[in-house]
Amino acid sequence: MRRISLIDIAGAIVLVAILALAPMFVSSNYLTGVLTVCAVYGIWASSWDFMSGLTGRENFGHSLFIGAGAYTAGFLATIWSTNPWLSLPTAVGVAIAFSLLVGFPTLRLRGPYFALAMLSASAILQRLCLIFWEYTGGEEGLYGLDPLIKSPLHYYWFVLAVLVVTVIVLTLLAQSHWGLLLRAIRGDEATCQAAGINVTFYKIASLMISAGFAGLGGALYAHYQLQVSPPLFSVVVSITVIIMVYVGGIGSIYGAAVAAILLTLLTEMLRGFGEYRLWIYTLTLMLILFFLPNGLIAPLWRRLTERLR
Amino acid sequence: MLQILIYGAVSSAIYAMLAVGFTLIFGVARILNLAHGSFYALGAYAAYVLTSLLKIPLFLAAPLAVLLVAGFGVVMERFLVRPLRQSQLAVLMITLAVSLAVEQALFLIFGSEYRNVPSFVAEKLSIGGVDISGQRLLALVAGVLVLLTLWLFIQRTRLGAAILAVSQDPEAAQYMGIPTNRIFSIVIAISAGTAALAGVLVSPFLTVQPTMGLLPMVKAFAIVIVGGLGSIPGSIIASLILGYSETIVAYLISTSWTELVSLVAVVITLMIRPSGILGRRAAF
Amino acid sequence: MTDLLEVNGVTKRFGGLTAVKNATFTLKKGEFTGILGPNGAGKTTLFNILTGFMQPTTGTIHFNGELVRELAPYKIVNRGMARTFQLTRPFVGMNLLENVLVACMSPRASNDKDKEERASYLLAQVGLGGRDKEPVETLPYGDLRRLEIARALATRPDLLLLDEPFAGLGSGEIEQLAQLIRRLHREQNLTILLIEHKLREFMALVSRVIAMNFGEIIAVGPPEEIVKNEKVIEAYIGKTEDAHASA
Repeated sequence: MRRISLIDIAGAIVLVAILALAPMFVSSNYLTGVLTVCAVYGIWASSWDFMSGLTGRENFGHSLFIGAGAYTAGFLATIWSTNPWLSLPTAVGVAIAFSLLVGFPTLRLRGPYFALAMLSASAILQRLCLIFWEYTGGEEGLYGLDPLIKSPLHYYWFVLAVLVVTVIVLTLLAQSHWGLLLRAIRGDEATCQAAGINVTFYKIASLMISAGFAGLGGALYAHYQLQVSPPLFSVVVSITVIIMVYVGGIGSIYGAAVAAILLTLLTEMLRGFGEYRLWIYTLTLMLILFFLPNGLIAPLWRRLTERLR
Repeated sequence: MLQILIYGAVSSAIYAMLAVGFTLIFGVARILNLAHGSFYALGAYAAYVLTSLLKIPLFLAAPLAVLLVAGFGVVMERFLVRPLRQSQLAVLMITLAVSLAVEQALFLIFGSEYRNVPSFVAEKLSIGGVDISGQRLLALVAGVLVLLTLWLFIQRTRLGAAILAVSQDPEAAQYMGIPTNRIFSIVIAISAGTAALAGVLVSPFLTVQPTMGLLPMVKAFAIVIVGGLGSIPGSIIASLILGYSETIVAYLISTSWTELVSLVAVVITLMIRPSGILGRRAAF
Repeated sequence: MTDLLEVNGVTKRFGGLTAVKNATFTLKKGEFTGILGPNGAGKTTLFNILTGFMQPTTGTIHFNGELVRELAPYKIVNRGMARTFQLTRPFVGMNLLENVLVACMSPRASNDKDKEERASYLLAQVGLGGRDKEPVETLPYGDLRRLEIARALATRPDLLLLDEPFAGLGSGEIEQLAQLIRRLHREQNLTILLIEHKLREFMALVSRVIAMNFGEIIAVGPPEEIVKNEKVIEAYIGKTEDAHASA
């Protein structure tokens, strides 16, 4: 198991410091907003990586959990008008419930069922949002969520803190015996069975953890946008997250988070390209699949710091 | 009652055309093609371009559209999927990337508004007091014919036998001198072609727009899971089940609920009989 | 001695083919038994059925007095029946210690406080001591078999099933591995069931032989009787003649 070394911690502290202080130097609400989205994507990408990166079960519908979390926040705010902070734990709970709904029937099976079921479930949920527009607001979605924290800068710091905690928790889990089992499942399920390991349990549990963090990120995003709409469930969101993990280096978690931040910033810079943005994304994905199958961020970091370990 | 019978048959035929190609390429080449829905959308758009923009007569435009999309499928398999076949995840990613690229390309070229394709047959027919557009009936007849032809092709020709052999044991087939890579090309052409034909046939009565491929593909997944991954008869049976259930639900409750049918069918199948109605591995 | 494993009328059909036909036998605690039979006799299928990787078409299996048929493989392991695979399947990308550590995480091994220490001890026990950090990718065949055994031992089995542990090994390696297995049987009072298709390795190890051919058990008895059994000789010599004829 690759243990975290001092240089990793130093690198993380420097990066987090830069991210936290950036809005102080370039004081603009626009930048703060972009960075908030960066941090949210970081939560989504690292949570995807924890389940799918470690166990090798490709989740093609992470947007299901993201959307479920965001809409939970939306419903709580617009229909029941509860305390907005309540939406965070509720979103986690709802996302976990969805993970059980999809994971339980599909993760006990071998084969591509899980990947197909996740993709289908997120697509169908997006449709349902449009069909039951009386409750979900249809294309327009739900408006009028309350911000969790009034100051955009303080909210950004809060989301960044959540990202840091997410990455720390998931990395510690991945480096624990638990993470070892998940990687073993990726290797060979039959051998895991022969080693007395309840493979299905670990797969479902890791999906629950992954979904919980994704739902949390969804609710944070909803309280940043102050609205939720059906595209949150879209395949594009799932694929964006997967591309981030790919660029970061599958199974590294921190790589996924860093790649998410960089790619979100890049996307903002490409805003001028308008509709061509997704094309650029898709092209990036194809290039990485062919030329950098191990990703970019994590391998690069390992290379750079090799001598300092 | 008769209305349900006919409309159900039409949806079933279209679903079957989509699902059979999806399951065929999985059964033979173990490629889980997430770009399958793009073939369907491309078929519909090709029909639109050829008829509405280039003013090519319909009976020529339809086969041309199918051929174009089949060619696209072959190129995709050869240059994008084949180099990555070692990794299941990479194949899923690349085919998903292709589907996004196609969707975006269609969006950039044609915009998001709905496009219209003229009907092949303008007349309305009346069967037992039920009015049905000739176009829908044509889709039904064409679907049945395509599936029959495909069945005869696989059962009765040498090439069909080779495809079957590859689906059962690719390594053994290779030892016996069957060029598996060429078989993959042929199968992806068939798969893309049937999906495109479905797209062409529905284009006059369904909306033609860039994201039109996603939902039918999700339905194809559902059908293939219910019927058994890799089994063609299984996916035909499942198409009938799904096509009719959706029509009945639409008739009795509301069209809003039809989307749930496939979801429920998949969940029930995975709970009770995960290998599907006819199990895996039996291509025919 | 009591019966540890009780197999009653186990049959497995694949379509029209019967891979295992009405297998009935028992294993007593502490016994060292071998299943003998030519390739394709149904030995590995029987193993897969015993360990839950396949479901029998008919028949029952009792382990420690409990019906284990239809239990998931990992549950059977946690009841005390561990196995190795004929084709070793280590977890690639992990070192030797981690490979054994996975099995130390099984519920049956949960009493072990320091799992790393126990995994390291098990590696030493099978003769891989001091190589904890080595990657599995470079391991020769014989060492992979030892690793498989260490992984199986990590689940603290009462019954150890070894699927052709000697296949593909040179004679020196076979002798060393046989010694290891003999030692485990003697020192830990393990009940062992071992599959082999070659007669020679077998006879020196086991105290009882179950001979199979075409999915059926054709003889049961001590090795010195089995070598004289007409059916067994026929199964083997018939096989050799066929092999010559077709060669």
